[in-house]
Amino acid sequence: MLESTKFIISKLSRDRTSLVGAFLLIALVLIAIFAPVLAPYPEDVTEFHPPERLFGPSMLHFFGTDRMGSDIFSRMLFGARITIAIAVIAVGVSVLVGVPIGLIAGYNRNWISDGLMRISDIFLAVPQIILAIAIAQTLGPSIENVILALSATYWPFWARLVYAETRSALTETYVEASIALGASPFRVMVFHVLPNISSSIIVRTTIGMGGTILTAAALGFLGLGPPAPSPEWGRTIAESREFLPEAWWYATAPGVAIFLVVMGFNLFGDGLRDILDPRTRRSNDG
Amino acid sequence: MLWFVPTLIGLMIITFTISHIIPADPVAFFAGENATAEQIEALRARYGFDKPLHIQLVNYLIGVTQGDLGISIYTQRPISEDLLARLPATMELTFMAVFFSTIVGVPLGVFAAVYRNSFLDHFLRVLTVSGLAIASFWLAILFQLLFAMELQITPLQGRIDGWGPEKITGFFVLDSLLVADWESLQSAFSHLILPTLTLAFPAMATIVRFTRAGVLDAINSNYVLYEQAMGLPSNLIIWKYVLRNALIGTVTQIGLIFGILIAGAVVVEAVFDWPGLGLYAVEAIMNSDYSAIMGFTLVTGAFFIIVNLIVDILHGIIDPRTQD
Amino acid sequence: MKHFKTFKALMLSVALTAMSLVGIPTDGMAKSKFVFANSSPYDTLDPHAIYDVGRVASRLNMYDGLMRWLDNPPKLTPWLAESYNISADGKTYTFKLRKGATFHDGSPVEAKDVVYSIERILALKKGAVSLFSKSIEPGSTQAPDNHTVVFNLNAASSIFLATVPAIHVVNSDLLKSKEVDGDWGGTWLSKNEAGSGSFELTRYDPAIGFQAKRYANHFMGWGDKYLDEIEFRTVKEINSRVLGLLNGDFHGTDGYLPQDQVKRLKADSNMNVLEEESMRIFYSIIHNGRKPFDDVNLRKALSYAFDYDAFINNILSGSVARNPVPVPNNIWGNPKDAKGYTYDLEKAKEYLAKVKGPIPEITIGALAGYGQTEQAAALLQNGLSKIGLKSKIVAEPWSVASKKMRDEQQMYDMLWLWRSTYYADPNNWVGEMYACDQVGARNNSWYCKPEVDKLLMEARVEPDQAKRAANYEKAAKMVTDDAGGIFVYNTKWFGPYNKKVKGVRFSPIGNAQEMRWVYME
Repeated sequence: MLESTKFIISKLSRDRTSLVGAFLLIALVLIAIFAPVLAPYPEDVTEFHPPERLFGPSMLHFFGTDRMGSDIFSRMLFGARITIAIAVIAVGVSVLVGVPIGLIAGYNRNWISDGLMRISDIFLAVPQIILAIAIAQTLGPSIENVILALSATYWPFWARLVYAETRSALTETYVEASIALGASPFRVMVFHVLPNISSSIIVRTTIGMGGTILTAAALGFLGLGPPAPSPEWGRTIAESREFLPEAWWYATAPGVAIFLVVMGFNLFGDGLRDILDPRTRRSNDG
Repeated sequence: MLWFVPTLIGLMIITFTISHIIPADPVAFFAGENATAEQIEALRARYGFDKPLHIQLVNYLIGVTQGDLGISIYTQRPISEDLLARLPATMELTFMAVFFSTIVGVPLGVFAAVYRNSFLDHFLRVLTVSGLAIASFWLAILFQLLFAMELQITPLQGRIDGWGPEKITGFFVLDSLLVADWESLQSAFSHLILPTLTLAFPAMATIVRFTRAGVLDAINSNYVLYEQAMGLPSNLIIWKYVLRNALIGTVTQIGLIFGILIAGAVVVEAVFDWPGLGLYAVEAIMNSDYSAIMGFTLVTGAFFIIVNLIVDILHGIIDPRTQD
Repeated sequence: MKHFKTFKALMLSVALTAMSLVGIPTDGMAKSKFVFANSSPYDTLDPHAIYDVGRVASRLNMYDGLMRWLDNPPKLTPWLAESYNISADGKTYTFKLRKGATFHDGSPVEAKDVVYSIERILALKKGAVSLFSKSIEPGSTQAPDNHTVVFNLNAASSIFLATVPAIHVVNSDLLKSKEVDGDWGGTWLSKNEAGSGSFELTRYDPAIGFQAKRYANHFMGWGDKYLDEIEFRTVKEINSRVLGLLNGDFHGTDGYLPQDQVKRLKADSNMNVLEEESMRIFYSIIHNGRKPFDDVNLRKALSYAFDYDAFINNILSGSVARNPVPVPNNIWGNPKDAKGYTYDLEKAKEYLAKVKGPIPEITIGALAGYGQTEQAAALLQNGLSKIGLKSKIVAEPWSVASKKMRDEQQMYDMLWLWRSTYYADPNNWVGEMYACDQVGARNNSWYCKPEVDKLLMEARVEPDQAKRAANYEKAAKMVTDDAGGIFVYNTKWFGPYNKKVKGVRFSPIGNAQEMRWVYME
């Protein structure tokens, strides 16, 4: 395990785009952790200064101030925490739910597995954002409900994926052999199938974080995310609209933040895929 | 394709469940702020909301088989009518986006592959990765900011100024051409520009990537090597054989692309106030219009399933070898 | 490569076509056609089905009532009625209709049409019905002759006259012919009109708006300056309305835009921004029926914790007038000497200390999509945290909030919203907002105090306006002293019009969307 990790890291560091991605992600994590220290006006997440509203970018306020007079730069830094929380928890939960379901469904050939896959298909028949909006709006705008809505609409993807991979893994000779030798289903799934497909899962998890962040931002934009005065990036973009075009910085800052974070996950994920999952490797010679 | 029907029924059950946990009471809303409790109850009975939930569901399912999707509480019109009325707007936009992203994306993907590792290739790689990292609603707002507000060369939003051409198909560009309504044509076209660009952006990125990959695979394949060895001119090889392979890759992704487009349409229509199905869905959800939400989900789900079906069939025709 | 060149050429030609198409200048507007950009959709044209400010234009321009509210300060003006008479006991109202008024199809407006209209309102139970349902029984309204209408109220009411303009008179013969399944012609009327108003409908699409042309035979007559055509279009985004105004695509839009946009419009040489004081108060409901908000000390603490100055002067750029009581400053019945509250954290803490028992996290409601309510909520939350109170903001769409407002359990602890003018009488504000018989309906504060209620009930039947004014003044002062809600400002209306537009007459009811006197130079 350690050997392969070292191998992965060394290969990654040779791929420029993956490095950029990794750099962005590390920056994101550091910003989220150290936001109170890095932000010039950390209290501006809840404090307002109406006389200073809608000031343009300056040395005092790198990205200007918003409609309540708060420093946008500081609020964006704190917004990173919300973004990470939503992405990690939502993707984490959907993986933790979807993967076992996929394993079980893939291993068995009974009505349970058919039923599970049928349910997954139902969820996958509609674009994730529609169902997520419906769920989030039903439950009310809050960060927990966004996470819930995203998890509830993402696990079927994993279930389907792992189901297909499990089915294919089961045809491998060594797996058939261990079943013949009397290994329990649990053993087979966890110790034989799972390691086989883990790299695929890891790659898609990374790339999936990017997509989840975009969907979460869309929910925030529509007003379904954490309520005012949260510095959530999607919500900030929505707030900024009525002040355009004069206050262009108000809409630009959060959008750039989202872009950089999603880029980070995508680039890093692409890099991981090239190393871990040669089957789906994109033609990348030269 | 028998799994079509149970999937759709399952979909309806799920949306029914979701839409009925909603705390808002749209009936109370439309009765108006002056309504008394009896008036609200009367209205509720009129829409059949006073019956127990499972009976409502059964009635709904029966209605669907007869083409009746219920009445929208918000617009007071049959939902099937509403959906039909809004469908052309989304289709026109989606079609334009597919068209644009294909005629721009495929050639770009081919060139990126043929001239791989050139400046163009690297530039495109950056662009396509970015294309998938930008939030659609933010891109829409940026386009509005730049082209509509600052430069003022496109309209800000909406589908057309004024009343539009005579309704024949519901596609404004087509209808304007058919009746030679040049003012409407110009207005419809100019209103299409920004939403199409926004919607096409991520789709184009995907198409470029997959076309490039497909072309590279083909170029490196033994088949092409053989043709080259036989002395066929390289232009011919590329455009006849490699492209076909690339298209196979793209067709496989059409299901994916449609997914991107429909999901994107929701947000893009919301920002541009484009009166299509996506905006209808957002409004229905915000207004807790139960029946409209179910109708929309049903139609979208069915559409998706059909698209995937067609893709599977097309795939089988174009490339009998099952790809991984 | 040959193919690359072809490709380039293709792209170039597409680009050129696009550019040239974009570059075609739009047609100039017809000379006397006025186009208004409205923020909400005209989803129905039935004047008895809706009663909100957002959709007033169709009612005002295509229909008439017995009386009409005009100008600012609002005057109740005889309209279809030329005179009226109130019986001594205040229960019988006799209106004499003017002769010569006709519907758009040429048939005369008669008393039976008025009777049909009020019966229709009562039967449909929508729109303005709650103004009449308590005082008029179905079948009690009579038409003794073609030009006399008699309303027999079941109790004396001083506000009835003020609400008469809400009875839009419809063409009863026409509607009866369009009736289907006892719907009172509702299905047909939602897409058509059966009125006698200054303009008649020419075109309607719920997704776009409506168009109407001048009705030359309107009984009010026309001078030599008027509009030939009016069009009211739905344009939801504020920025689109503003840009459209600046471009000349629209000639007017609603007067309650955010101040930043108003400044932008004022700065443009093609724009003329009219300014009037409206009657539309902005306030926060406090749920008086829920512990611990039933304690006046807590309510006072809340009232001292809101930064009124910052909100009015900074967030709203001083564009509104401070209105510390639940009656607009510019209507009779407003207690001119009421002090109201200021932003005073020391006083707030003083009163807070007197509150017994723990105070849970306060839920502050705001209306999603209405930035001002969210900003007010955030500002209040800020003030509350400074005096040690925790709160959370819940922003929900109006469809959700308006339902919760009617339910004692579901209602938020506080909710920021406006109270517009439906009729120009203090009863429209304090008389409904704090009356015991309106709890759960128009009184969403669950406020019910016998001393206040007595004043309000008296005023509802007292015919002498001076006496009524005294009652409302006292009641408003009592509610303010009792901190029944947090009252912030009275709205100013800033109507942006193209400078060619003249003759706009603003009234807080109608918000200048009546086009009868407007003309374009």
